[in-house]
Amino acid sequence: MDAVKILGKTLVASPERQLEADSDVEVVKRVQNGDVAAFDQLVTKYRGRVYGVIYNLTSNREDAADLTQDAFIKSFQSINRFQGQSSFFTWLYRIAVNSTLTHLRKNRLRTFFSFEKINEDDKLSSEVIAALTVDTAADHETFARELQEKLNEAMQKLSIRHRTVITLFEIDGLGHQEIAEIMNCSVGTVRSRLHYAKQLLQSELQPYIRR
Amino acid sequence: MFGGNGAIASALREAAASIRVAALYPPMNENTSRKTKVSLEDLLRLKRAEQPPAEFWAEFDRGLRTKQLAAIVEPRPWWAPFIRVGTRLARYQLPVGAMAVLAVTLLTVREYRPTTFASMEQAGPAEIASLTAPTAQSGKALATDLINISLAPAMSTAVSESVPVSVAVESRSIQPALNQSTALGSSSHVAMVSSELSSARYMADSLAAAHATNPELNQLLGQSLPGNDGNAIRSEPLAQINVPGESRRSRFLGGTAWLASASTGSSALQPNEQATRHLTERRLSESDVISRIDMDGSRLTVKF
Repeated sequence: MDAVKILGKTLVASPERQLEADSDVEVVKRVQNGDVAAFDQLVTKYRGRVYGVIYNLTSNREDAADLTQDAFIKSFQSINRFQGQSSFFTWLYRIAVNSTLTHLRKNRLRTFFSFEKINEDDKLSSEVIAALTVDTAADHETFARELQEKLNEAMQKLSIRHRTVITLFEIDGLGHQEIAEIMNCSVGTVRSRLHYAKQLLQSELQPYIRR
Repeated sequence: MFGGNGAIASALREAAASIRVAALYPPMNENTSRKTKVSLEDLLRLKRAEQPPAEFWAEFDRGLRTKQLAAIVEPRPWWAPFIRVGTRLARYQLPVGAMAVLAVTLLTVREYRPTTFASMEQAGPAEIASLTAPTAQSGKALATDLINISLAPAMSTAVSESVPVSVAVESRSIQPALNQSTALGSSSHVAMVSSELSSARYMADSLAAAHATNPELNQLLGQSLPGNDGNAIRSEPLAQINVPGESRRSRFLGGTAWLASASTGSSALQPNEQATRHLTERRLSESDVISRIDMDGSRLTVKF
């Protein structure tokens, strides 16, 4: 099952993505014809994912909220220029990522963390925290907060491009081809950046890795 | 079998259900032991759990609506489309900037070189010829001014060392004056240097010619051919001067010889002959002629 998932991620476009893209075409056409309410559908559909990507790049919830709104505004203003060469999702992600990269470059010297709370109902996170605290008497909540800080610090040590690739691949679950389209680079570049970013994170998060 | 005793039947049913549940859902410790290994990917996927609360999205939608309306109402600036072009070209900013700097440098060098050489070729004979162009009044005034300028540095050194004025004695003292005279028509420093060199050559030629024709000048200037030390020239005239008239004439002839050679570049024989034609002993000995040569500090004025 894991191998299928990995293989699915690296292929050009998964079936879910294809279905998603097909359903977006009609909505985009309505928006281009002047139906503003149709744009709200797109906002509701993609706001969570766009916010997640931007939050993982900035590690700041306030900036992430503003940048997400700006990304949707820009896509709304440029919707007539969208010609359907890529999926609306890829196009929207590209706008969001570019806006965030511009913001990060402008505010390179000012790094201010503002974290979201970890969702306790998430199964994977509770398992990971339980696994890491099984040998210690540490409180789960305290350990989770500490782990969250360490994770974000390690991510911020990466360059903007490496952080973007890691976020899109590992956290958002996109494929290499999709990431290459969003970042306007080749698939090989995506792979090499991913490899290098993982090496760096491995060294930073060594105390928390259990083999 | 169970129909007769309802209580036993329900108890048995519950026991069976619990056994089924236990079989379907194994105890927790087996699950945690499965998850003892934590990889980097697991840690990164922890970030998926960092989610905003539900009430966050209500405020988000409100803010987005406000920004959307503002974007619709606010007119886009006229330069907004160019931002797109600019952002596309931003990736090439470094090579484009380097190319621009290189182009400006090449253009500057190219413009500078031909201008320099052209002015060097044209400024020397042309400008000096224009200075000595024979016009009725301007020619005289120009000649007067030129001698004033050219003799000034020579005068300063001569006066300070009690040496009578001798023009074309030392190229060094006259070079600044030459520079000034050529600067009338050329603003280029390099042009001045080159014209200075050509003028020095002319001077040397004219001096040589003057020496050949005027033995008095030879005595006065102390055989001042190019390459001679100027200091020796300075000291000798002081000892040599005996006759005031002769010395004055020699000085005057030397000045005109230099002036003519600087202007035309030809042999100094012609200007020298012209000068002597107009000069007579009588004229020189007259007080009013002498009075026309006026010395004022470091400046010598000769009026025609």
